[in-house]
Amino acid sequence: MISALFYLQFNSVKNRTVMRFKRLKQPKYLIGLVFGAIYFYFYFFRFLLMPRGRMGGASSMANAIPTDPIFYESIGALILFGIVLLAWVVPHQRAALAFTEAEVAFLFPAPVSRKSLIHFKLMRSQLAILFTVLFLTLLSNRFGGAGRGLIRAAGWWVILLTLNLHFLASSFALTRLMDRGLSNWKRRVAVLLLVALAVGGVVAWAVRSTPELTSGDLANVRSLSDYFDQVMVSGPLPYLLYPFRLVVKPYLAADWISFLNAIWPALLLMLAHYIWVIRADVAFEEASVEASKKLAEKVAAMRAGNRGALTKFKKKRAPFNLQPRGWPLIALLWKNLINAGGAFTARTWISIAVALIVMALALRGTMARSNWTMLVGMFTAMVGAWALLIGPQIVRQDFRQDLPNMDLLKGFPLRGWQVALGQILAPTIILTGVHWLLLVIAVACACAMPAGIMRIPPLLALAIGAGLAMVLPGLNLISLLIPNGAVLLFPAWFQTGKDAPTGIEATGQRIVFALGQFLAYGLSLIPAVAAFFGVFLLTQFFAGDAVAVIAASFATALVLLAEAGLGVMLLGSLFERFDLSKETAN
Amino acid sequence: MIEVAGLTKLYGDFVAVNELSFSVRPGEVVGLVGPNGAGKTTTLRCLAGIIPPTRGAIRVCGHDLAVDPIAAKKQLAFFTDEPRLFDYLTVWQHLNFVARIYGVENYESIGRTLLEELEIADKADNLPGELSRGMKQKLAIACGLLHSPKVIYFDEPLTGLDPLGIRRMKDSILKRARNGAAIIISSHLLHLLEEVCSHILILKNGRKVIDGTIAEIAQKFSQQSDASLEEVFFRATDEPPKVESGPIGK
Repeated sequence: MISALFYLQFNSVKNRTVMRFKRLKQPKYLIGLVFGAIYFYFYFFRFLLMPRGRMGGASSMANAIPTDPIFYESIGALILFGIVLLAWVVPHQRAALAFTEAEVAFLFPAPVSRKSLIHFKLMRSQLAILFTVLFLTLLSNRFGGAGRGLIRAAGWWVILLTLNLHFLASSFALTRLMDRGLSNWKRRVAVLLLVALAVGGVVAWAVRSTPELTSGDLANVRSLSDYFDQVMVSGPLPYLLYPFRLVVKPYLAADWISFLNAIWPALLLMLAHYIWVIRADVAFEEASVEASKKLAEKVAAMRAGNRGALTKFKKKRAPFNLQPRGWPLIALLWKNLINAGGAFTARTWISIAVALIVMALALRGTMARSNWTMLVGMFTAMVGAWALLIGPQIVRQDFRQDLPNMDLLKGFPLRGWQVALGQILAPTIILTGVHWLLLVIAVACACAMPAGIMRIPPLLALAIGAGLAMVLPGLNLISLLIPNGAVLLFPAWFQTGKDAPTGIEATGQRIVFALGQFLAYGLSLIPAVAAFFGVFLLTQFFAGDAVAVIAASFATALVLLAEAGLGVMLLGSLFERFDLSKETAN
Repeated sequence: MIEVAGLTKLYGDFVAVNELSFSVRPGEVVGLVGPNGAGKTTTLRCLAGIIPPTRGAIRVCGHDLAVDPIAAKKQLAFFTDEPRLFDYLTVWQHLNFVARIYGVENYESIGRTLLEELEIADKADNLPGELSRGMKQKLAIACGLLHSPKVIYFDEPLTGLDPLGIRRMKDSILKRARNGAAIIISSHLLHLLEEVCSHILILKNGRKVIDGTIAEIAQKFSQQSDASLEEVFFRATDEPPKVESGPIGK
């Protein structure tokens, strides 16, 4: 029977890998893979190949940390203990092994013993564990692995496999307790009481055996660190955490000899867990069937492009009353604002704006002499700039979200530009609202700054604020046109479901699109920038800086809105020509 | 009400629909049938203006779908086999949204009546995720009928409905036809089509095999005048003959 299950697992992995390689014939996957591979190499893999001592900052950081092995073992053991404690306290349902619906349909009615099913599950989880090991090894090597890549990898494998076995065993044990009538709350109280006893013992020892901490010690990081060090390496704590330390030791081995010394107790502990799992005779089938059904529903929803099924949607209040009369495209704005959440109502935004203005005016008198105004103002400006670039990637209540519902949108009696404008209005309004709020804070801080090198005259600060407020709606509109245009031009690259790219290809595709978007955004701003500087230089000579900024910003806003208008017409035309069935037919 | 002339849809070299011409008058219910891959869904999507045809002309209520798609789409409704809904809008918000899109001023009274007829009035504040598949279908129907369309397309309308829902759907189709709507139903359930359709259009490999009343096509493809639609369909599409039914083992 095990050979049949191994055959299933082996061929599933083999065929999936072959399919992913065949898929590389399509440019979208190949380009995604190339870019993703380059990114992963430069950010992770090259650190694996560098010898010790050549990793600059990361290596010097590693050298600065204390090197007492028992200290680190205790830290690692404490973390493991916390994770294991959660496995005994949190769960409230019967043990359920994660099988796919196909596995349930084939294996559960088949003459396969419960033990064989568990072996199959353990065998299947090895692949996920190996990938996680690879990822964690690359991560830990990236930040100071000091060249012990293979030892780290083996150490992670021991930790993850032992945890995996323990979670399984503990879920079986909890199910047995449930079957014997022990309620979840009684079990949690019992476990937490045991932990409290252990913690109490450690505290009692620390109070009796270690010098008392003075208030001076509490303010001194070195003293605190020494105290913590003493508690971690002596007294009862290392003994209480002994099994957890066994699991962590191989990871922390300094060389192969230490690793070989540390691995055999960890393997014995793993074996003990394995025997515990295999000997548990717990009925997990019913809960597993239920879990597989929920998993299948999620997978089906993903394949249909219905990401909403992965998150629980809550009823949200409408941002305003939608009347049946009026511009139909407002219905699209209304719909997308509902999707964005209850925070985006006019009442909420006005209340926040009023509160911020009052706060800024009140603080002006008190903060005028502190450096906080400069820090807050600069921080706000940086967040605003970041929101301008990254905001369109986060606020996606437009065509990107409605790609699965394109048929529905195309059936509406609306022109292409009406649908396009209606779809991107919601994210534009949201982003502009956020920017205006940040602008209010930044301008208030700028006006309140004490005299100094970086102080902007209040009149100029207000003029810059007003100018940015005029320009931001057009900027946001243009920045949203680009990803929405990309969705309509290259829908296959945005496809969800079984054809969606995963792993390295997905990362690579995102990098390609991000680069493309920044380039398109930059190019689109050239006319606006030219208009700004042209009008500014002309006006400044006659009317001064503040008036010149306002006049130039007004001109820039007009250019941006004109560009945005053209962009909306183009997007509308793309929408009208959009044919998703052509992509699936190809 | 629906006039189709030379409708052709190509995907590269693949011909999904080939020179399809037919018409549907007010009050007629046309059953669109054919084997899998015959081009039924592609035809309906072209007629609804969701995908553009490669060639050909489609007129809905006198409006050319290519020249004046807005006026044409205002008169029609398309019900797909899988209800397409917005996960974050409640039942009532869906109706509110559709009312604005189509300009249905008295949508509140019409909407309430529709929800009561479809027996989902108590679900008005629920999200689609909280509805069963049949209820989602009913919500999609309510949204489609809110603007009182004169032309209705159904793609497998009975999928997911319970027996009472099936009965109600059939009654609704007949009622709308009696009120003057032109209806096209695509379905594999030939006995359903026999009950509700006045005309049948058979497609195969993207081409029209025949269209006409059930009696007309029965006469053409069968020796018997009372031949079932199933028998006529198999003959028309050259499918294997029916296996004789009888007790197993004899």
